[in-house]
Amino acid sequence: MKGSPLAQGVGHRAGRASLTRPLCGHPLPEGEGSDAASNRSFLVLPGPTPMLYAQILLNGLLLGGLYACIAVGFSLVWGVLNVINILHGSFVVLGSYIAYFAHVHWGLHPFLSIFLSGGVLFVVGYAVQRGVINRVIAAPVLTTLVLTFGLDLIVNNGMLLAFTADYRTVRLEHPLGSQIIGGLVVPLDRLAAMGLAVALTVLLFFTLARSKIGRAIVAVRMDAQAAALMGVDVPRIYAVTFGIGALMAGAAGSLLSLVFPISPLNGTEFLGIAFVVCVLGGLGSISGAIVGGFALGAIQSFGALWIGPEHGLTIAFALLLLLLVVKPTGIMGRKGYE
Amino acid sequence: MTNARTAWVSVPVAVMALGLVSAAGPASAEDTIRVGAPLPLTGPLSPEGLKQQRGYDLWKDTVNAAGGITAGGVTYQVEIVYVDYESNTPRAVQTAERLIAEDGVNFLFSPFGSGAAKAASSVSERYGIPTIAATASSEAVYDQGYQFLFGTFTPNSTLTDPLTRIVTDSGEGVASVAIYARNDLFPLAIAREMEKSAEARGLEVVSFDEYAIGTLDHGSALTLLRLSQPDWVFATGYINDLILIRRQMSDLGIQPKVLTMIAGPAYREFIEAGGDLAENIASAAWWHPAVSYDGQDIFGTTANYVAAFQDKYDALPDYAEASASAAGVILQLAIEAADSIDPQAVRDALAAMQATTFYGEVEFGETGQIVSLEPPVFQIQDGEAKTVYPPAIQQTDMRYGGIK
Repeated sequence: MKGSPLAQGVGHRAGRASLTRPLCGHPLPEGEGSDAASNRSFLVLPGPTPMLYAQILLNGLLLGGLYACIAVGFSLVWGVLNVINILHGSFVVLGSYIAYFAHVHWGLHPFLSIFLSGGVLFVVGYAVQRGVINRVIAAPVLTTLVLTFGLDLIVNNGMLLAFTADYRTVRLEHPLGSQIIGGLVVPLDRLAAMGLAVALTVLLFFTLARSKIGRAIVAVRMDAQAAALMGVDVPRIYAVTFGIGALMAGAAGSLLSLVFPISPLNGTEFLGIAFVVCVLGGLGSISGAIVGGFALGAIQSFGALWIGPEHGLTIAFALLLLLLVVKPTGIMGRKGYE
Repeated sequence: MTNARTAWVSVPVAVMALGLVSAAGPASAEDTIRVGAPLPLTGPLSPEGLKQQRGYDLWKDTVNAAGGITAGGVTYQVEIVYVDYESNTPRAVQTAERLIAEDGVNFLFSPFGSGAAKAASSVSERYGIPTIAATASSEAVYDQGYQFLFGTFTPNSTLTDPLTRIVTDSGEGVASVAIYARNDLFPLAIAREMEKSAEARGLEVVSFDEYAIGTLDHGSALTLLRLSQPDWVFATGYINDLILIRRQMSDLGIQPKVLTMIAGPAYREFIEAGGDLAENIASAAWWHPAVSYDGQDIFGTTANYVAAFQDKYDALPDYAEASASAAGVILQLAIEAADSIDPQAVRDALAAMQATTFYGEVEFGETGQIVSLEPPVFQIQDGEAKTVYPPAIQQTDMRYGGIK
């Protein structure tokens, strides 16, 4: 890393004093340790280097693309079925496990196992919707929320029993590593994962916009009764939609297996991200999930830069609350899938 | 949910208890010593909770197989009453209280980690139940003037001091350190100790940052850290955090001369999950399977303990597992020394203890925290945690650089 353009941009060892905090290098006065240490984050304002901001923005966008992919299936199910699918986080984790085992046993690269995990999860999602959720689909949203919450407990604890809580990682034989491009450090595997995540999301967009099944999904979202009168098999469309939501979760899980350690315990974190992204970007459109994902990634990264890594998510949630007051439909929010 | 999970745990416990009773013949409730163990068996801390359970179980099974513990002319079988508190600290405290007040346990093993152990210690103190904390190192746990709390981990500074001394004496020109800590009781406490150790040895602490529990991205923090070009990066957290941090360090091309992570590298799961990225990470822990003591406890030598553990679990024990077994061994020695299971008598025996165990020398200080251990410093080399300190058990020399 030494001598990379980014580091040179703000000076080397000699110049460090200018970018570190005033307290650094001096022993702390007795008894002041905790306050001093926690306040230091506020003092860390490295010189105003455009390169630094560009790097942080890049980090945020790389993260944001993955966030969008986590959230898009959740958004679709919420938008079309009006079901808040608490299972979504566990679906993502399940996708990661499929990628993990496919990699360990068959040497399948996670970029390829998106088809496997997506396919398996589609079947799981379709069956869960057809067999269980469809029975209460007309009930108030709280009923389906509780139902998916219960299902999530079963799936999550099932994974704990089957896979244990030990953290696993997909370790590639030939990782792409990082490249310094124009002074920015670009982690290539992450970039590729993010690119695929966005590509999948765009593919979903065109599926909804162009394909027959996609138009049927949109029609059901707009008016289920009218769609039924036009000959659309509404329960089947519901199941297909839920299946697609799960498919996206599974595919996202495959991609995430390259980035995050895999454990059933991460399901909750992913669900939380999906929720925030949907509210931030606005329910009801694919573009909302993409915008929400990138927005969350960027906000979190700059939040961590400006007020310390401890508060990256705090900023994101504060903005979320503000947005709920000012524009409750989210950045891109509008009714229905189009 | 609680009931379902408790049932999962209590069924095997009940089965084991039945097994014991039948094996021991005409045993009754009166000649069973019951030890309460609130543990995070599910939730984010479950990997750690399960380790403790393995350590306790090995001790309990070994003791019972050998006939039990004899005190005051009565031979007792040991039963450990596990309750899962789902990684939820407030529930750990309730659980501890329930174990003592309703289940009537004779002794308590603390819940996992410094935070929960401290919170639960007020309960056992109130009831006067001797309590052994197997995974609590922060001095803040023991500074409440409690009489019934004993801990098997030395203070955090006993990890950071030798590590810092080795690095600064190496002649490798390590002059600056960046500290990155999970905002949680133990990870933050040991990070603060590291800061003190570093400053005492003349290292420049170029940054000290904290991250929140559950952080999924360290990109910004590491980008900043990268700017200050530290010779030494010292990151604290648990396995999940540390793997993520390690991967992102690699993504961003951060290659310090020395990389320390605590706590995680001592666990085989970390080494397996980290792969090449785990190589050359230097760390310290309270125990290592390479230590060698000739104990007066049921396991005897450290080698015997390691063999017994491998027999049962087909893996090398790590410090958390060994410390849990040590908690059992220490309790047993205290009961035998007191020749009674009276809580006050056992407490006094613990306070006066001067014993050698497979785990190390055992002697508790004024506060109840162990003072007699010399924690090993180790480094992951070729996929194994190898000791570099103390000299008596040194397996290899510390390597500098080589962080991918």
